[in-house]
Amino acid sequence: MAPEISNVSMFFLIFFVLIPVSLSYIYALGLSKSIIWSSFRGIVQLFLIGYVLTYLFSLPPLIGISLMLAVMIAVASFHASKKGEELPYARPIIFLVIVGIALLILAMWLGFDMIDFQPDQVIPMSGMVIGNSMVAIGLALERMKSEFKESKGKIVAALALGAKPQQASTILIRKIVKAAMIPNVDGLKTIGLVQLPGMMTGLILGGVAPIEAIRYQIVISLSIFTSVSIAAMIVTIIFYRFFFNRNMQLINMEIEES
Amino acid sequence: MKNMETLIQMENIGTSVLRNISLDVKKGEIITLIGSSGSGKSSLLMLFNRLNDPDEGTITYRGKSLQNYQITYLRKSMGMVFQTSSLFDGTVRDNLAYGPKIFQEWEEQMGEELLKNVQLPISYLDRNVEELSGGEQQRVALARTLANRPEILLLDEVTSALDLRNIELIEEFLVSLVPTSVRAILMVTHDVNQARRLGDRTFFMEEGEVIEKGETQTLFDNPQTEQLQYFLKE
Repeated sequence: MAPEISNVSMFFLIFFVLIPVSLSYIYALGLSKSIIWSSFRGIVQLFLIGYVLTYLFSLPPLIGISLMLAVMIAVASFHASKKGEELPYARPIIFLVIVGIALLILAMWLGFDMIDFQPDQVIPMSGMVIGNSMVAIGLALERMKSEFKESKGKIVAALALGAKPQQASTILIRKIVKAAMIPNVDGLKTIGLVQLPGMMTGLILGGVAPIEAIRYQIVISLSIFTSVSIAAMIVTIIFYRFFFNRNMQLINMEIEES
Repeated sequence: MKNMETLIQMENIGTSVLRNISLDVKKGEIITLIGSSGSGKSSLLMLFNRLNDPDEGTITYRGKSLQNYQITYLRKSMGMVFQTSSLFDGTVRDNLAYGPKIFQEWEEQMGEELLKNVQLPISYLDRNVEELSGGEQQRVALARTLANRPEILLLDEVTSALDLRNIELIEEFLVSLVPTSVRAILMVTHDVNQARRLGDRTFFMEEGEVIEKGETQTLFDNPQTEQLQYFLKE
């Protein structure tokens, strides 16, 4: 039986907010307003999503899942593509990449009978995959711009030696993909040792036995790892081309801008 | 000089920074491009191997427009070395093999030969490039470009960050290359004395234009424009 937090208990969360606000006030950090605003916003968003999910879970699975995934993917691709606004077609390409990854992972979950095609299973798990892919894509795009700027000399030297853009970018591509994957690799190394992962915590709090909860956690952790790797790799492989023109020359514009 | 074969012909070249530039490069020549910083020397050099393209004018190499050469092979033929060595992460061998491996021409013994040419010990082959001094790195960069067996050598201020000993070494080596190993050298330098030592002909540039050109000795002994006179005095 899942434990329930009463409204009175929820009200006392105000103390959790008051502590950082007081610290900000005492040390003149100027963060009070933003702490209060983001806490308020977070609470409202979560309550709203709670009601939305309740409604979606009551719909036929195909409709509920499709609706929520569409929203998640749209928001994720919008945010991730902000990091690459100066790159052509960033938004549609990133949208398609996230759609592809979400569908692939979903197909694997269903195909290997890991979860059921039910909104209460597919939506939260897909959300984690989509959210992490969004972060990885953002990291990859940011790193790509900085690498192309910092390593301009080496790329031009490689081109001057007869390398094609793909060859000249190889070293950078490796670095970029690695940078986007590192948070997840590090996370996997200490998983469960430093902090219990969110999904597992939720399941345990919901009354699921730990040994059962870890199964879901393993599925989601490895799914996130896979999706993040694919996201970073594909985005890097697609977008490095936009730093060159068709005469195999480095385009300065994008590099100077970042 | 008169009967030498013309290798490169540049006519009425214009880009966002260069204006109406015409010049020719003949077989066996070392051409020096001089001028103050920002005069367009490096921009001009990058047109020869199509790291950039002009907006106006034509460039031909051995009678054929640069546009008609496959870019990667053109860049192999027009080897370029930059002011900063821009070596790739890894060993000296990795760097020397970079170009030849692209064209499937790398043979292990090439490494030793290339290092010998730039007077570096063979034991350096497996050294990480980060362990080398600035002068050594620049010599590796030169050897890396020569590994592609270029016909023309484009040098952009390659000795500007080096000490006298290294400058001397590189200059001696460059002179020995023409015309047997490479057909011609185009060299950007801000050092008038270097241009005097090496250049058969010199082009003086100012604000994206070639202001004066001619045989180096004549040009320096008898500068016609105020700009060159001032530049030589500086």
